[in-house]
Amino acid sequence: MSKRSLLSLFLLIIFVFVTMVVDVDLIGQNVFAAENTGDYAVNTIRLSGGDYGYPSPYAHYPRGPGGYKRNLIFDSLLEKSEDGLIPWLARDYQVINGGKDYLFTLRDDVVWHDGEPFTAEDVKFSFEYGLEHPLVWSDLSKDDIESVAIINDNQVLITAVSANCSLLSNIGNQRIIPEHIWKDVDVPKEYNEPAAVVGTGPYILTDYNKEHGTYRFDAFEDFWGPQQNIKTILFVPVSEAILAFEKGEIDLTDVSPDLLGRYESNPAYKIVQQPALWGYRLIINMKDVDVLKDKNVRQALVYAIDQQELIEKIERGAAVAGSAGILPPDHVYYNPDVKNYQYNPDKARELLQESGYTSLSFELKVPTQSVRMAELIKEQFARVGIEITIISADTKTHDSRINKNEYELAITGHGGWGGEPDYLIDRFAGEELTGTPSALGAVGYNNEQLNSLLIQQKEEFNSENRRKLLYQVQTILAEDVPEIPLYYTSGYSVYRPEKYDGWMFMYDHHSLSHSKLSYLERK
Amino acid sequence: MKKRGKSRIVEYIVTLLIIITLNFILPRLMPGDPFLFLSTDQGQDVMYSEEQRQQYLEYYGLNKPIIEQYVLYLSKVIRGDMGLSLYYNEPVINIILRRLVWTFFLVIMSVIISTIIGMILGSISAWHRNSWVDKILYFKLIILSEIPSFLLGLILLFVFAAGLNLFPLSGAITHYAEFDNGWEKVIDVLHHAVLPIIALSVTRLGGTYLLGRNSVISVLNKDYIRTGRAKGLSKVRIIGNYVIRNALLPVITQVFLSLGGLVGGAILVENVFAYPGLGHLMRESVMIRDYPLIQGIFLTVSIFVLTANYLADLIYVKVDPRIKNNSDTESQ
Repeated sequence: MSKRSLLSLFLLIIFVFVTMVVDVDLIGQNVFAAENTGDYAVNTIRLSGGDYGYPSPYAHYPRGPGGYKRNLIFDSLLEKSEDGLIPWLARDYQVINGGKDYLFTLRDDVVWHDGEPFTAEDVKFSFEYGLEHPLVWSDLSKDDIESVAIINDNQVLITAVSANCSLLSNIGNQRIIPEHIWKDVDVPKEYNEPAAVVGTGPYILTDYNKEHGTYRFDAFEDFWGPQQNIKTILFVPVSEAILAFEKGEIDLTDVSPDLLGRYESNPAYKIVQQPALWGYRLIINMKDVDVLKDKNVRQALVYAIDQQELIEKIERGAAVAGSAGILPPDHVYYNPDVKNYQYNPDKARELLQESGYTSLSFELKVPTQSVRMAELIKEQFARVGIEITIISADTKTHDSRINKNEYELAITGHGGWGGEPDYLIDRFAGEELTGTPSALGAVGYNNEQLNSLLIQQKEEFNSENRRKLLYQVQTILAEDVPEIPLYYTSGYSVYRPEKYDGWMFMYDHHSLSHSKLSYLERK
Repeated sequence: MKKRGKSRIVEYIVTLLIIITLNFILPRLMPGDPFLFLSTDQGQDVMYSEEQRQQYLEYYGLNKPIIEQYVLYLSKVIRGDMGLSLYYNEPVINIILRRLVWTFFLVIMSVIISTIIGMILGSISAWHRNSWVDKILYFKLIILSEIPSFLLGLILLFVFAAGLNLFPLSGAITHYAEFDNGWEKVIDVLHHAVLPIIALSVTRLGGTYLLGRNSVISVLNKDYIRTGRAKGLSKVRIIGNYVIRNALLPVITQVFLSLGGLVGGAILVENVFAYPGLGHLMRESVMIRDYPLIQGIFLTVSIFVLTANYLADLIYVKVDPRIKNNSDTESQ
């Protein structure tokens, strides 16, 4: 190889790469149609993006922002408003036969994004296909549904295996997918064609770039439902959200309490506090650690924890103290009268002495990002004579230790606290009801009375009676302390109201941009 | 010579096999599995049930005996199939190729820039050997090249992007901007790439500078240069026609040898600038235990390094006849 040919080879390589880099992004350029605000209140909203996968019900990544992007495209029978479930693709629904049957009356003015009419067949298909091939995110399993039957052109009857009052929301939340597209798809997870994002929802996906983490959604003109307020929703990746917000690169962001001062007195900004439905809990291994089987010891642990200190020092005040009854204060079924464990180190020491302990020591396992919290708890426990050894690991390692019960005490943080209270069954009665101990559950805990209350509430369709049962459940949990909710975060979001002011929270979720109704006209 | 070439190829194949095996074993030694989510970050709720977890483990064959998985993996890799990413729902090879373009773009640009600048500075130093110019250049460049690329990247980010607002904070392109023509787009891509390329180039500069300097010095001592001078050729002509052309050979070889290492360096810089190359992907794939993707990325990088080494070997032999003679004596 001569020097010259070597050099030209080198230059050729460079040329090829430069054109490739530029080319890669030219794909999808043509979707930029002429600007036309039409009937929309706002032309474009920009939100913080990042790659959460192709938003088909099978291809998005199993994370919140992926699932809620899917929801912009795909409708469900019912939708979530501030207060509860509202009719959506079903214009009416009835729970009959003691909660075993659900009769949905469908809208008849609905079309798919590709122009095909939406039918009762699609609904039946969605449930049958969706149970055969579980969606990335679905609250239903084969054990829940016995049959789906078409009664007439616009009515579908869904029969449950057993009466369960959480089912309405779980059925109502199942995404409805077009039969004419999915019926020939054998491996839905690998189906990434444009047809995979054809739904009936208010928005169409018009651009998606995996490497950059960008999405573009445009309003679907023939959408059956409320008028969209926003013509185009853009998700663009940001490295530092606040900087991007101030530069106008995005129109809505979460803001840490320390920075609230920048926006508080400025009418150009609006600050909202999120409902506290994301929480940390201290879980207790009552199976392998004998000391922890003692209720006094567990109660002592709660008294020994100064939740306010944790909230002040870690969340800068933007959180709500954990309720010993587990359900957070922002939950629809929250019981405000459960046993209140105000921080009380004396009481904690007293309880320990009652059980004959003067000093105890435990291992506390935490994910790396919660080490600060663990250090504070270690100090607080030291004040009542409990010695803590902190063991931290990356999230995956930490989770796998919990899953294998390789812990004495552990901290885990996650969302979903606002959901159907059935999660209490998974956590505290897993073994008895499903035959397999739930991975998330309080291991070694069993309370017959609690179990039977949990079953009763599940089958109680009268909301007031169910509330009473759930209040009792919370009372028992607060007394038994099978786990300790530390706090539920209630961060702040800030946006520019003159740009767009339609943001809302669903009754069970803590993010403005995740709600479908945030983008639609409200009455 | 032939014999040597053959044994080299065998060496490369053995190295590759060891790498493939390690790629398979190491990710699986980490605790945790890809479908187990208990703790999440705020706003990142995960929605797998235990039932789904088992289904996915089965779907991807992760519940089979480890030996069976290994054999399956080997037979697939040999056919060029790196499998399907567990998280990104896409063939690993596609994911990697699309990002590799961006990483290569950074690497190649910085190689060119650092080589040209290093060579020029090296020549200046060599020409003025032992004068103050030489000493200052020598000292400054050595210091500069000792700063790790990601640290330099952070400093550049704070000063030129956040502080002076001259460059974008992150990414490789302005998203959903409307470009009038292709050139504006090229300029936008370059605008985003300036800081990462500078960070990478500067770290590399010291090495090329030293190499260029030494190489030029040795050429300057050659008889033909003295002849050129004696003939009264201009300084520019001597440097341009004789010195650089001859001094460039070891530098070009060095370029190929260092390409592999540069990909590693680029990964760190990409994380600093949220540049959509392999770097961010690699970090993410390890955090979520996406075994096929981890394997794919490490394999790609390994193959890249090995290929670069092999090319360097070949070129070295081609351009420098002395190596050939040496190896002949070696093998005797």
